[in-house]
Parts: sequence; structure tokens; C-alpha cells
Amino acid sequence: MPERVSKGMGGATAALDLDAELMLRVKEGDGASFGVLLDKHRSSVVHFLYRMVQNHAVAEELAQEVFLRVYRSRSTYEPTAKFTTWLFRIATHLALNSLRDGKNERLQERLDDDSNDMPVRQVRDVRPSVEQSMVYQARLHEVRQAISALPEKQRAAVLMHKYEEMEYSQIARVLNCSESAVKSLLFRAYETLRARLAHMA
Amino acid sequence: MNCPLHDRETAAQLLGYCARKLDTESQAILERHIAVCPECLKFAESQRAVWEALEAWEAEPVSADFDRRLYRRIEEDGTWWDRLVRPLRPLVRHWNVAASAAGVFVLLAAGLLLNQRPAVPEAAKDTAQVEQVQPEQVEHALDAMDMLADFNRQVKASADAKM
Repeated sequence: MPERVSKGMGGATAALDLDAELMLRVKEGDGASFGVLLDKHRSSVVHFLYRMVQNHAVAEELAQEVFLRVYRSRSTYEPTAKFTTWLFRIATHLALNSLRDGKNERLQERLDDDSNDMPVRQVRDVRPSVEQSMVYQARLHEVRQAISALPEKQRAAVLMHKYEEMEYSQIARVLNCSESAVKSLLFRAYETLRARLAHMA
Repeated sequence: MNCPLHDRETAAQLLGYCARKLDTESQAILERHIAVCPECLKFAESQRAVWEALEAWEAEPVSADFDRRLYRRIEEDGTWWDRLVRPLRPLVRHWNVAASAAGVFVLLAAGLLLNQRPAVPEAAKDTAQVEQVQPEQVEHALDAMDMLADFNRQVKASADAKM
């Protein structure tokens, strides 16, 4: 698996990738370096997966699997790409599989029942009024629905572009497609999102 | 400049502009164009609205016990092979019993292989099986080979000692 993940990725920048160096230390048996990598990427992986599958418990389960696979692959790891490219490739692969396996069949129902998965702490205002909170929840609901309505690859591309601030080239490597295909994916995805969310300005 | 919206490749620049990801020079060029192009202005405004809407979506914090659960899984993952071979370790100490068991195992395996030979597996299935082989499986197989090699050395040594 890791060999297949690494194939086709450019390796020019990998030499300077600090994460890749840490992973090489993990390969040599340094468990502390794995802890550093986990600290650094835990949140972004969980949050990416959460926005992909829109269920916190499933997202954490998948994130555990991502890091477990990283650890398992330590002995065969080769820094042929940026570490995060490899990491998000595993995460995207698992998220797409999870969505296709129908583990999130009840996604729509959960989205309809906002109280399930939208705790008060997600509201930015420290002390929002009831009205503010309701408006916020309604907007959030709309955003979540708009994202979940996107085709899976477009969704992954938008999430990596918007929240992980990845370059087109890196998204292309994660999704195993060309850079122009990523631009096209993103253009279509944002076109759909503009149609659904532009009124929120 | 030509309107970037007329080509998907260059329209990506507009996305970059709205996300403020462009370098200063490109940002300024697009800003000048947007000031005179109503189509791009509309695009930029609606894209900014989308950007802001997405920013409002904060993910929940990661569970406090995430690492503990992960390390437990790592530990379990690493020790399953140990647990599998642990009951066999006393047999290794009593090598004559182990040798008999190994002989029976080899005979059974050979018998199974001979029985399966006429059935030609589908090519696609073969490929799928190969893809599913994990590196740790290979490691474990090598460990098992090492263990058998040690065992053989012990058997030979004790046989030599008896002679």
C-alpha cells in the first residue's frame, strides 16, 4: 500500500520536508518522532475527515486508521513526496471508501437533526443571543448541506483547498490527477457552492 | 488583460485572488481588471461570500483520548502475532514434539496444495490478493522463517550433541 501511495509523486521538495525527516526517524525506531507527527497533524486530519464524512465519531475512527497505517508503513517508508501529501492521500482514500461503503447512510438524517452534531462550542460568539445562535446554526446547516451535495472528489478538493490551504499541485498528487483536472474540479465545485451559498453574503 | 473567466485554467487565478493566495503583482493585476469587468466583479463577490460561509464552519475539537486510543491500537496491532505464536513457544522448547508437529503441518499443507492445483484461479482475483498483502504480513512471514531457522539449528545442534 505505501509503495502504491508513493508512486507518481514528485520528490524534489521531499528532501526539505521536515515531516519526512521525522518519518525517517520513526522508520529507524524513534517513537517520539511519531508523537511529534501525530501532534502536528492530528487536528487537520480529523477535521478534514469530519468535513468529508460529516460525523465526528466516524471521522476520529478513520483518523485513527490513517495514523495506524502511517505507523505500520514506517519500515517501508520512502520520502518520495511531501509527508502531508502521503498523509492526506491515505485520509482521502479512507474517507472515499467510507462514503462508498455507506457507513454514512444516515448522513442526511443527521444533517436534518442539527442538535446531534453541532454543539454550542461551534458558535464563534462567546455569548450569542438565541437569535444569533439560530441564524448561525441555519447558515451552518446550509454550508454542510452544500458541501455534502458535492461529488466526493470535488468535496475533497474544496476541503483541501479551503481548509488545508494546499496548492493545486499538492491536491493533484493527493487525488492522483493532473493539476488542470484539480483546477477544473475546484472551478465546478465553487460554481455549485456559489449558486447555493452566495446569498449568504 | 483578457477576462480570466473565459478560460477555466485562468479562472483558477480568480479563485486564488478571492482566497488572497496570489502574489502581490498578480493580485494587483486582477484587482485592476475586476474594477472594469462586471462579470469578474460578480464572480469575485459571490466567491468571497462562499469563502466566508465556509470559514464559519469550524470543526469540533479532537477527543482528549484520541492519542491513548491510537497507541492502544498500535500496541495491539504489534502484538497480535506474538499472541498467535505464544502458545507454540513451549513446543519449541520441547523440540521433538515440535518437529513432529511441523512434519504433520508440512504434510497437511502439501496435501492441501495438491488438492487445489487443478482449480485455476481467476487472474483478477490473484491481483486483488497480491494488492492486499500488507508489509507487516511480509515481516511476520520473515519472522516466522527466522524462528524456523533457529529451530532447525537447535535440532541440528542437539542431534550433533547426541552423536
